[in-house]
Amino acid sequence: MGLRDVLLGRKKLKDAAGERLFAISTARITLETELGLKSAGSAGVCFKALSAGDFVRTENELQELLDSVAAESGSKVERRTDELGFEWLIVRDGDFEDLVTSVHLVASELAARGFGGQLLAAVFPFENRGFDEKRVYWIYGFKRGAFWPFVPKGEGKERDNAEELELKAKLEQELPIEQDLSRWFGIFDAPL
Amino acid sequence: MKRKAYGRDAGLSFRMLFTTSLLGLLYVLFAVALFYLLNAGLILMIIIVGGVAFLQYFTSDKIALAASGAKVVSPDEAPQLHEMVERMCGMADLPKPRVAVIESDVPNAFATGRNKKHAAVAVTSGLWDRLEPREVEGVLAHELSHIANRDVLVMTVAGFFATVAALLTRFGFYGGMFGGFGGGNRDNNNSVPVWLIVLLVSIVTYFLSQILILALSRYREFAADRGSALITGTPEYLMSALQKIASGITQIPQQDLRQVEGMNAFFIVPTNWKSRAGGLFMTHPPLEKRLEALAEIARQMGRPVS
Repeated sequence: MGLRDVLLGRKKLKDAAGERLFAISTARITLETELGLKSAGSAGVCFKALSAGDFVRTENELQELLDSVAAESGSKVERRTDELGFEWLIVRDGDFEDLVTSVHLVASELAARGFGGQLLAAVFPFENRGFDEKRVYWIYGFKRGAFWPFVPKGEGKERDNAEELELKAKLEQELPIEQDLSRWFGIFDAPL
Repeated sequence: MKRKAYGRDAGLSFRMLFTTSLLGLLYVLFAVALFYLLNAGLILMIIIVGGVAFLQYFTSDKIALAASGAKVVSPDEAPQLHEMVERMCGMADLPKPRVAVIESDVPNAFATGRNKKHAAVAVTSGLWDRLEPREVEGVLAHELSHIANRDVLVMTVAGFFATVAALLTRFGFYGGMFGGFGGGNRDNNNSVPVWLIVLLVSIVTYFLSQILILALSRYREFAADRGSALITGTPEYLMSALQKIASGITQIPQQDLRQVEGMNAFFIVPTNWKSRAGGLFMTHPPLEKRLEALAEIARQMGRPVS
């Protein structure tokens, strides 16, 4: 944002930076071998719907497209609205590569239709299927073009910051990680 | 495909630039006139006012929060509010500001802070209780747009010379009574005393700059409304929120809000807007105008709003 934004006020949302999404594909191996974290078999794209006819049409076309892709790869696609009014497209697939590809497809399709600014985040849940049943999330912020970890803890909306910082330290070499901690937004109750 | 930005408003952009330029021009004329009239003393005064403005700018968030009685809340204390702010910041590409709550039944909100890193957003408990979540979201997005548009900076800079003029008016007044500025005595008795000219110039500058600053403030409100529509994608909720807030504020007596007088420029709806006279002297545009502008944005987004 430059002087124009200050003088005249912002006129549009920042566009999505989807290209660094693929970094999660390689990071997955480190997550699994070094930390015992496996993909939970799902991934979601979170975006803010516009109350405009054009957007609704785009959203419907997008789901049709995803459905046809899913039919080939054998994954499942769901559409949800969370309690904060954000829309989710959720893909379920055992194959992690298919998950990443589908998520990227959603992002690039929305961007190609001029709605890139509506994209908020992609969320990849990972699980430790050992004794402690822990769930961690890697969140990709489309505005930032970077990942950050999110580890909810307890019943309320609390986060395990120590674990998050450890994940950051371990994955720093492989993932573009958001360095500004004040932008590590959590996504509680993600429908994943 | 490139989509036409629906947030575009050439008229508003023009008015903002025009007001800003006029204000700049006015200040240059003011400075030139002062330099011409009194060459000593002025520098000192500008340094002093500059220092005060600087201080004000750097403590704006603390002052505003303290003056309004807002209490900064942690995510534990207000989890839903924090979550909503986080999501909105995510959309607006802003770091998370501090979140504060004001114990007041009157629904209102404000944002403050010199930059994105030192910002705070405050809502009254009445806003949270009386409005629907989507409406609160619209209000929060409006406040975050103020942060994104750097409104504290803009208004501090815009008000700088107005403060100088206000001070000079006062000094000039006393100066006239007690013998004038340093240069005043050197004049011979036939010409108009310097202090009187300074006084007049300052009064005129102060008056004109106030009008321009208020106009700028109103345009910044429109810009923040537009920003809210962009962030939430649903201007209709901000419209209903504004209506609720405005009606709530006019119904409830204002005693409990006296302490927040003077901060009106940062509230989403001014606390005493009913008592304000002509449109020229309002910090905020009238409700109908704001609703009109939002309806226009909604139309551009492709959905008619009745």
